[in-house]
Amino acid sequence: MDENITLPPNIEDIPPPGLALVEELDKLLLVQLRDGRKIIGTLRSFDQFANLVLSDSKERIIVAEQYAEIPLGLHVVRGENVVLLGELDAAREPPPGLQLVSEAAIKQAQRAEREADKLKGTLRSRFFDFLDDI
Amino acid sequence: MAATEEDNTVREPLDLIRLSLDERVYVKLKGERELRGKLHAYDQHLNMILGDVEETVTSVEIDDETFEEIIKTNKRMVPYLFVRGDGVILVSPPLRS
Amino acid sequence: MLFYSYFKTLVGKEVTVELKNNLAITGTLHSVDQYLNIKLNNIRVVDERKYPHMLSVRACFVRGSVVRYVQLPPGSVDVELLHDATRREARGG
Repeated sequence: MDENITLPPNIEDIPPPGLALVEELDKLLLVQLRDGRKIIGTLRSFDQFANLVLSDSKERIIVAEQYAEIPLGLHVVRGENVVLLGELDAAREPPPGLQLVSEAAIKQAQRAEREADKLKGTLRSRFFDFLDDI
Repeated sequence: MAATEEDNTVREPLDLIRLSLDERVYVKLKGERELRGKLHAYDQHLNMILGDVEETVTSVEIDDETFEEIIKTNKRMVPYLFVRGDGVILVSPPLRS
Repeated sequence: MLFYSYFKTLVGKEVTVELKNNLAITGTLHSVDQYLNIKLNNIRVVDERKYPHMLSVRACFVRGSVVRYVQLPPGSVDVELLHDATRREARGG
Protein backbone atom coordinates (compact mmCIF):
# COMPACT_ATOMS: atom_id res chain seq x y z
CA MET A 1 0.00 0.00 0.00
CA ASP A 2 1.13 3.52 -0.78
CA GLU A 3 1.91 5.21 2.49
CA ASN A 4 2.15 8.66 0.99
CA ILE A 5 -1.54 9.17 0.61
CA THR A 6 -2.30 12.72 -0.35
CA LEU A 7 -5.72 14.26 -0.21
CA PRO A 8 -7.30 15.15 -3.54
CA PRO A 9 -7.55 18.87 -4.27
CA ASN A 10 -11.22 18.87 -3.45
CA ILE A 11 -12.43 15.97 -1.36
CA GLU A 12 -16.03 16.85 -2.23
CA ASP A 13 -15.34 15.75 -5.83
CA ILE A 14 -14.60 12.18 -4.78
CA PRO A 15 -17.75 10.08 -4.52
CA PRO A 16 -18.33 8.24 -1.25
CA PRO A 17 -17.68 4.47 -1.34
CA GLY A 18 -21.30 3.51 -1.91
CA LEU A 19 -24.51 5.39 -1.45
CA ALA A 20 -24.72 6.55 2.09
CA LEU A 21 -27.55 4.83 3.89
CA VAL A 22 -26.81 7.16 6.80
CA GLU A 23 -30.20 8.82 6.41
CA GLU A 24 -31.84 5.42 6.86
CA LEU A 25 -30.03 4.52 10.09
CA ASP A 26 -32.34 3.73 13.02
CA LYS A 27 -35.37 3.81 10.72
CA LEU A 28 -37.82 0.99 10.24
CA LEU A 29 -37.22 -0.40 6.76
CA LEU A 30 -38.57 -3.08 4.48
CA VAL A 31 -35.80 -5.07 2.83
CA GLN A 32 -36.67 -7.15 -0.19
CA LEU A 33 -34.30 -10.06 -0.79
CA ARG A 34 -33.40 -11.74 -4.08
CA ASP A 35 -35.37 -14.88 -3.15
CA GLY A 36 -38.50 -12.74 -2.81
CA ARG A 37 -38.63 -12.62 0.99
CA LYS A 38 -39.42 -9.35 2.75
CA ILE A 39 -37.73 -8.50 6.03
CA ILE A 40 -38.81 -5.59 8.20
CA GLY A 41 -36.35 -4.23 10.72
CA THR A 42 -34.50 -1.24 12.08
CA LEU A 43 -31.28 -0.45 10.20
CA ARG A 44 -28.37 -0.35 12.63
CA SER A 45 -25.37 -0.58 10.32
CA PHE A 46 -24.34 -0.95 6.67
CA ASP A 47 -21.25 -0.89 4.45
CA GLN A 48 -20.35 -0.22 0.80
CA PHE A 49 -21.69 -3.62 -0.32
CA ALA A 50 -25.07 -2.88 1.26
CA ASN A 51 -24.42 -5.56 3.87
CA LEU A 52 -26.97 -4.66 6.53
CA VAL A 53 -27.53 -5.10 10.23
CA LEU A 54 -31.21 -5.13 11.17
CA SER A 55 -32.50 -5.25 14.72
CA ASP A 56 -35.92 -6.43 15.90
CA SER A 57 -36.42 -7.83 12.43
CA LYS A 58 -39.34 -9.92 11.26
CA GLU A 59 -40.27 -11.60 8.02
CA ARG A 60 -43.50 -10.32 6.51
CA ILE A 61 -45.31 -12.93 4.47
CA ILE A 62 -48.19 -11.80 2.27
CA VAL A 63 -50.46 -14.32 0.56
CA ALA A 64 -53.41 -12.82 -1.33
CA GLU A 65 -55.19 -10.53 1.19
CA GLN A 66 -53.61 -12.05 4.30
CA TYR A 67 -50.33 -11.35 5.99
CA ALA A 68 -48.32 -12.47 9.00
CA GLU A 69 -45.07 -11.41 10.62
CA ILE A 70 -42.56 -13.90 11.98
CA PRO A 71 -40.04 -12.54 14.51
CA LEU A 72 -36.39 -13.03 13.51
CA GLY A 73 -34.51 -10.79 15.94
CA LEU A 74 -31.08 -9.44 15.00
CA HIS A 75 -30.03 -10.18 11.44
CA VAL A 76 -27.02 -9.49 9.24
CA VAL A 77 -28.05 -9.49 5.58
CA ARG A 78 -25.41 -10.07 2.92
CA GLY A 79 -25.46 -7.18 0.45
CA GLU A 80 -25.63 -9.22 -2.74
CA ASN A 81 -29.02 -10.59 -1.66
CA VAL A 82 -30.54 -7.16 -1.23
CA VAL A 83 -32.92 -6.04 -3.97
CA LEU A 84 -34.25 -2.92 -2.34
CA LEU A 85 -34.66 -1.09 0.93
CA GLY A 86 -37.93 0.71 1.39
CA GLU A 87 -38.72 3.42 3.85
CA LEU A 88 -42.09 2.60 5.40
CA ASP A 89 -44.81 5.21 5.51
CA ALA A 90 -46.29 4.92 9.00
CA ALA A 91 -49.63 6.20 7.72
CA ARG A 92 -49.85 3.25 5.35
CA GLU A 93 -48.58 0.59 7.74
CA PRO A 94 -49.51 -2.20 7.63
CA PRO A 95 -50.48 -2.07 3.93
CA PRO A 96 -54.17 -1.21 3.66
CA GLY A 97 -56.56 -4.01 2.73
CA LEU A 98 -54.47 -6.76 4.31
CA GLN A 99 -55.69 -8.89 7.18
CA LEU A 100 -53.32 -10.05 9.92
CA VAL A 101 -53.41 -13.82 10.47
CA SER A 102 -51.36 -16.29 12.52
CA GLU A 103 -48.01 -17.73 11.46
CA ALA A 104 -49.63 -21.15 11.08
CA ALA A 105 -52.41 -19.78 8.88
CA ILE A 106 -50.05 -17.90 6.55
CA LYS A 107 -47.71 -20.90 6.22
CA GLN A 108 -50.68 -23.02 5.23
CA ALA A 109 -51.80 -20.43 2.67
CA GLN A 110 -48.21 -20.28 1.36
CA ARG A 111 -48.12 -24.08 1.00
CA ALA A 112 -51.42 -24.07 -0.89
CA GLU A 113 -50.09 -21.36 -3.20
CA ARG A 114 -46.87 -23.32 -3.81
CA GLU A 115 -48.82 -26.51 -4.54
CA ALA A 116 -50.87 -24.66 -7.14
CA ASP A 117 -47.68 -23.28 -8.72
CA LYS A 118 -46.06 -26.70 -8.65
CA LEU A 119 -49.05 -28.25 -10.39
CA LYS A 120 -48.60 -25.77 -13.21
CA GLY A 121 -44.90 -26.58 -13.27
CA THR A 122 -45.57 -30.33 -13.43
CA LEU A 123 -47.90 -29.87 -16.36
CA ARG A 124 -45.15 -27.94 -18.02
CA SER A 125 -42.38 -30.43 -17.34
CA ARG A 126 -44.63 -33.34 -18.35
CA PHE A 127 -45.13 -31.61 -21.64
CA PHE A 128 -41.39 -31.23 -22.12
CA ASP A 129 -40.81 -34.89 -21.13
CA PHE A 130 -43.33 -35.78 -23.77
CA LEU A 131 -41.37 -33.71 -26.28
CA ASP A 132 -38.20 -35.57 -25.33
CA ASP A 133 -39.88 -38.89 -26.07
CA ILE A 134 -40.68 -38.11 -29.68
CA MET B 1 -1.99 9.69 -33.24
CA ALA B 2 -4.33 11.62 -35.49
CA ALA B 3 -7.91 11.65 -34.27
CA THR B 4 -9.32 10.29 -37.53
CA GLU B 5 -6.85 7.42 -37.59
CA GLU B 6 -7.62 6.61 -33.99
CA ASP B 7 -11.34 6.61 -34.68
CA ASN B 8 -11.19 3.99 -37.41
CA THR B 9 -8.86 1.44 -35.91
CA VAL B 10 -10.27 -1.73 -34.42
CA ARG B 11 -7.87 -3.20 -31.86
CA GLU B 12 -10.25 -4.70 -29.35
CA PRO B 13 -13.91 -5.81 -29.30
CA LEU B 14 -15.24 -2.60 -27.80
CA ASP B 15 -13.77 -0.57 -30.70
CA LEU B 16 -16.47 -2.11 -32.89
CA ILE B 17 -19.08 -0.77 -30.53
CA ARG B 18 -17.43 2.66 -30.58
CA LEU B 19 -17.88 2.67 -34.35
CA SER B 20 -21.59 1.97 -33.81
CA LEU B 21 -22.18 5.17 -31.82
CA ASP B 22 -25.18 7.10 -33.11
CA GLU B 23 -26.22 4.08 -35.19
CA ARG B 24 -29.03 1.60 -34.66
CA VAL B 25 -27.81 -1.58 -33.00
CA TYR B 26 -29.29 -4.91 -31.99
CA VAL B 27 -28.72 -6.02 -28.39
CA LYS B 28 -29.50 -9.51 -27.10
CA LEU B 29 -30.05 -9.74 -23.36
CA LYS B 30 -30.54 -12.44 -20.75
CA GLY B 31 -34.12 -13.59 -20.18
CA GLU B 32 -35.15 -13.81 -23.86
CA ARG B 33 -35.04 -10.06 -24.33
CA GLU B 34 -33.92 -8.17 -27.41
CA LEU B 35 -33.48 -4.46 -28.03
CA ARG B 36 -33.21 -2.47 -31.23
CA GLY B 37 -32.26 1.15 -30.84
CA LYS B 38 -29.83 3.95 -31.51
CA LEU B 39 -26.65 3.71 -29.43
CA HIS B 40 -25.95 6.97 -27.64
CA ALA B 41 -23.51 5.92 -24.89
CA TYR B 42 -21.71 2.89 -23.50
CA ASP B 43 -18.87 2.06 -21.12
CA GLN B 44 -16.47 -0.86 -20.54
CA HIS B 45 -19.16 -2.87 -18.68
CA LEU B 46 -21.46 -2.54 -21.73
CA ASN B 47 -23.82 -0.35 -19.78
CA MET B 48 -25.59 1.57 -22.53
CA ILE B 49 -28.05 4.30 -23.33
CA LEU B 50 -30.23 3.56 -26.34
CA GLY B 51 -32.75 5.86 -28.03
CA ASP B 52 -36.02 5.00 -29.83
CA VAL B 53 -35.80 1.52 -28.43
CA GLU B 54 -37.98 -1.39 -29.38
CA GLU B 55 -37.89 -4.15 -26.77
CA THR B 56 -39.01 -7.66 -27.69
CA VAL B 57 -39.65 -10.20 -24.91
CA THR B 58 -40.22 -13.81 -25.94
CA SER B 59 -41.94 -16.24 -23.61
CA VAL B 60 -43.21 -19.80 -23.99
CA GLU B 61 -46.45 -20.74 -22.32
CA ILE B 62 -48.06 -24.15 -22.17
CA ASP B 63 -51.81 -24.34 -22.48
CA ASP B 64 -52.99 -26.28 -19.40
CA GLU B 65 -55.73 -28.06 -21.35
CA THR B 66 -54.23 -28.85 -24.71
CA PHE B 67 -50.50 -28.85 -23.78
CA GLU B 68 -50.02 -26.63 -26.78
CA GLU B 69 -46.88 -24.59 -26.78
CA ILE B 70 -47.71 -20.94 -27.21
CA ILE B 71 -44.82 -18.67 -28.08
CA LYS B 72 -45.61 -15.11 -27.13
CA THR B 73 -43.66 -12.06 -28.18
CA ASN B 74 -44.35 -8.78 -26.45
CA LYS B 75 -43.04 -5.60 -28.02
CA ARG B 76 -42.92 -2.08 -26.63
CA MET B 77 -41.26 1.22 -27.50
CA VAL B 78 -39.24 3.30 -25.03
CA PRO B 79 -37.87 6.77 -25.94
CA TYR B 80 -34.61 6.49 -23.97
CA LEU B 81 -33.38 3.49 -22.06
CA PHE B 82 -30.35 2.92 -19.83
CA VAL B 83 -29.39 -0.77 -20.02
CA ARG B 84 -27.24 -2.35 -17.33
CA GLY B 85 -24.29 -4.16 -18.91
CA ASP B 86 -24.45 -7.36 -16.85
CA GLY B 87 -27.57 -8.45 -18.75
CA VAL B 88 -26.02 -8.04 -22.20
CA ILE B 89 -25.27 -11.20 -24.20
CA LEU B 90 -24.29 -9.60 -27.51
CA VAL B 91 -24.30 -6.32 -29.37
CA SER B 92 -24.60 -6.39 -33.12
CA PRO B 93 -23.39 -3.36 -35.12
CA PRO B 94 -25.63 -1.23 -37.35
CA LEU B 95 -28.56 -2.86 -39.04
CA ARG B 96 -28.12 -1.98 -42.70
CA SER B 97 -31.72 -2.17 -43.78
CA MET C 1 -17.68 7.07 -14.29
CA LEU C 2 -19.66 8.07 -17.41
CA PHE C 3 -23.02 6.74 -16.27
CA TYR C 4 -22.48 7.80 -12.66
CA SER C 5 -21.85 11.36 -13.88
CA TYR C 6 -24.81 11.18 -16.23
CA PHE C 7 -27.23 9.90 -13.59
CA LYS C 8 -26.13 12.71 -11.28
CA THR C 9 -27.48 15.18 -13.85
CA LEU C 10 -30.88 13.44 -13.59
CA VAL C 11 -31.28 14.05 -9.85
CA GLY C 12 -34.71 15.58 -9.22
CA LYS C 13 -36.15 14.13 -12.43
CA GLU C 14 -38.67 11.32 -12.69
CA VAL C 15 -37.35 7.95 -13.88
CA THR C 16 -38.68 4.41 -14.04
CA VAL C 17 -36.32 1.74 -12.76
CA GLU C 18 -37.01 -1.80 -13.99
CA LEU C 19 -35.52 -4.55 -11.86
CA LYS C 20 -34.34 -8.01 -12.83
CA ASN C 21 -37.26 -9.50 -10.86
CA ASN C 22 -39.63 -7.52 -13.16
CA LEU C 23 -40.63 -5.02 -10.47
CA ALA C 24 -40.82 -1.55 -12.06
CA ILE C 25 -40.70 1.54 -9.85
CA THR C 26 -41.32 5.12 -10.95
CA GLY C 27 -40.02 7.87 -8.71
CA THR C 28 -38.01 11.04 -8.38
CA LEU C 29 -34.28 10.35 -8.56
CA HIS C 30 -32.88 11.39 -5.19
CA SER C 31 -29.29 10.19 -5.56
CA VAL C 32 -26.95 7.74 -7.23
CA ASP C 33 -23.45 6.40 -6.42
CA GLN C 34 -20.60 4.93 -8.44
CA TYR C 35 -22.07 1.40 -8.21
CA LEU C 36 -25.21 2.90 -9.77
CA ASN C 37 -27.19 2.19 -6.63
CA ILE C 38 -30.24 4.42 -6.86
CA LYS C 39 -32.43 6.20 -4.33
CA LEU C 40 -35.94 7.15 -5.37
CA ASN C 41 -38.52 9.36 -3.64
CA ASN C 42 -42.31 9.51 -4.02
CA ILE C 43 -42.36 6.13 -5.62
CA ARG C 44 -45.19 4.25 -7.27
CA VAL C 45 -44.99 0.68 -8.41
CA VAL C 46 -46.16 -0.35 -11.86
CA ASP C 47 -48.75 -3.13 -11.40
CA GLU C 48 -49.10 -2.34 -7.71
CA ARG C 49 -51.58 -5.13 -7.01
CA LYS C 50 -48.94 -7.74 -7.82
CA TYR C 51 -46.58 -6.28 -5.21
CA PRO C 52 -48.71 -5.56 -2.10
CA HIS C 53 -45.62 -5.30 0.11
CA MET C 54 -44.67 -2.08 -1.70
CA LEU C 55 -47.95 -0.31 -0.82
CA SER C 56 -46.50 1.19 2.36
CA VAL C 57 -43.14 2.12 0.85
CA ARG C 58 -42.77 5.77 -0.24
CA ALA C 59 -39.01 6.04 -0.80
CA CYS C 60 -36.48 3.36 -1.60
CA PHE C 61 -32.87 2.40 -2.22
CA VAL C 62 -32.35 0.02 -5.15
CA ARG C 63 -29.10 -1.94 -5.30
CA GLY C 64 -27.39 -1.24 -8.64
CA SER C 65 -26.77 -4.93 -9.36
CA VAL C 66 -30.52 -5.74 -9.55
CA VAL C 67 -31.32 -3.05 -12.12
CA ARG C 68 -32.19 -4.20 -15.65
CA TYR C 69 -33.23 -0.89 -17.22
CA VAL C 70 -33.81 2.72 -16.33
CA GLN C 71 -36.29 4.59 -18.50
CA LEU C 72 -34.93 8.12 -18.92
CA PRO C 73 -36.95 11.32 -19.27
CA PRO C 74 -36.65 12.28 -22.99
CA GLY C 75 -36.11 15.98 -22.22
CA SER C 76 -32.92 15.33 -20.29
CA VAL C 77 -30.97 13.24 -22.79
CA ASP C 78 -28.38 15.35 -24.60
CA VAL C 79 -27.17 12.88 -27.21
CA GLU C 80 -24.24 15.03 -28.43
CA LEU C 81 -22.95 15.30 -24.88
CA LEU C 82 -23.30 11.53 -24.42
CA HIS C 83 -21.43 10.78 -27.66
CA ASP C 84 -18.54 13.04 -26.65
CA ALA C 85 -18.36 11.61 -23.16
CA THR C 86 -18.47 8.05 -24.52
CA ARG C 87 -15.60 8.72 -26.98
CA ARG C 88 -13.57 10.29 -24.19
CA GLU C 89 -14.25 7.28 -21.94
CA ALA C 90 -13.39 4.81 -24.75
CA ARG C 91 -10.02 6.54 -25.16
CA GLY C 92 -9.35 5.56 -21.58
CA GLY C 93 -10.39 8.82 -19.97
